[in-house]
Amino acid sequence: ADEEEDGTENRVVSLLNEAMLGNDKVKSDNIRKVQEIAIHMSPNLLDNFLDEILAFQRDPCADVRKAIVGFIEEVSKHEPEVLPRLTSALMALLRDESVQVIKRAVQAASQVYKATLMWISKSKTVSETLEKTWQEVVQIRNFISDMVDHDNDGVRTQSVKFLEIVVLLQTYTDADSVRKANDFSLDDVPMALKVAKRRRLEDEAVATLEHIIKFHGSAHISSVNLMACMGTLTLIAKMRPQYMAKVIIAFETLHTNLPPTLSKSQVSSVRKHLKLQLLNLLKHPAAFEMLSNITTLLMDLGATQNEIAKNSPKPEEVRKRQK
Amino acid sequence: MPDQSEMKIAVICSSNMNRSMEAHAFLSKKGFCVKSYGTGDKVKLPGPAADRPNVYEFGATYDEIYNDLLHKDKVLYTQNGLLHMLERNRRIKQRPERFQLTKEKFDVIISCEERVYDQVIECLEGKDNETNAPVHVINIDIQDNHEEATIGAFLICELIDLMSHSEDLDNDIDELLQDFESKNERSILHSVYFY
Repeated sequence: ADEEEDGTENRVVSLLNEAMLGNDKVKSDNIRKVQEIAIHMSPNLLDNFLDEILAFQRDPCADVRKAIVGFIEEVSKHEPEVLPRLTSALMALLRDESVQVIKRAVQAASQVYKATLMWISKSKTVSETLEKTWQEVVQIRNFISDMVDHDNDGVRTQSVKFLEIVVLLQTYTDADSVRKANDFSLDDVPMALKVAKRRRLEDEAVATLEHIIKFHGSAHISSVNLMACMGTLTLIAKMRPQYMAKVIIAFETLHTNLPPTLSKSQVSSVRKHLKLQLLNLLKHPAAFEMLSNITTLLMDLGATQNEIAKNSPKPEEVRKRQK
Repeated sequence: MPDQSEMKIAVICSSNMNRSMEAHAFLSKKGFCVKSYGTGDKVKLPGPAADRPNVYEFGATYDEIYNDLLHKDKVLYTQNGLLHMLERNRRIKQRPERFQLTKEKFDVIISCEERVYDQVIECLEGKDNETNAPVHVINIDIQDNHEEATIGAFLICELIDLMSHSEDLDNDIDELLQDFESKNERSILHSVYFY
């Protein structure tokens, strides 16, 4: 096994050396190669190279810095033990001068945030490092939360997607929740966890959801961001049905106050999108209490009786609820 | 969004025969990274009468379909241009592909009619988003005949060209689409989904 480790070590050393001397493409390619090796490496070995790899976060080429973001994202999923050494690099990349790097960093932050919460939830003891790492990702979360007001539309979109993950991670599932593979929720956070108390996490999630709803309802939101928000709210309503009513109300408000800045065909796209989201929610068992609100909205949006009937919950489902 | 030169594009119609393949041919000639698909249940082509279409399973090759039509009525299918179209198609790829079955991820998806757009969206809605990588879905209505497919392919090409020149597509797309619409006097649908 030692020989194998030596071989891996040599391979990484030569890839990194080549990257340092190579052009931008060689750098990015080699970072990706090291990343492939790293996720199968023992955390101890990975630890030896981390500084050399992360040093590329200051490379003048944006693509190289994006490759580093990709590295952080992948490694955080596979080797949570090295998370404490990744968070400050990620924070720096979130402040990058290139919008493309920032967007990629926000995208990766969702994974890092999730990986950290899972890691502290599964740890038997809470070390100082672990506590510090959690504090750092909380800072990252707060930083991205403010990015909903960023100058760049694409950055705003990505930050909405990040906030979506925060809400899903920090709320409880219920019997009607749509489940996904690798789902992680507040149910999986141990009650005794002191660093991140369940109650506090849930309060933060509710505040985050309000933040998304506020952005969704803002008068000058772009059509792309509006549709991203609608998708996010639908997903939250399906996976965390306790917020179904909140989401439907947000959609009602949107329907009566579409942003005045939208062009004619953007209005068509948004209305179509809204109709699809509502038909999607109509199928959900927890939509039962909001059924008449949803149907009224759908009729306003031009849905046919047939479409509504096809997507409505089955009669036996409704009877079960009425009991 | 990756570098625009590496922008991954999908063009989609119902049968992956005419409109999507015309655009596929145009775009790949220009060097774009493009794939094409159909969203229908089956591959449908006109037959000897309106109520007698030629229907094939997705999976049949363009070559097989070509030979089938050749065997059925060479004169008819030469006259209506189907054999010519299939000959073009088989030079591009082996067989029509169904969008719902692909695992590929794209940056931009262009559909050629609203029903196809709806099916594309239904398919994307059903997927788990794991990476949050955005995909822009855009519909441009194109009638399903040879002339319109050619005009449509020009339009799609023009749009993709504009998009590929944008340094920050996610930021520019709203404005870019509006300009494109007013220039070409066509209304388009647009939405964004995430992988």
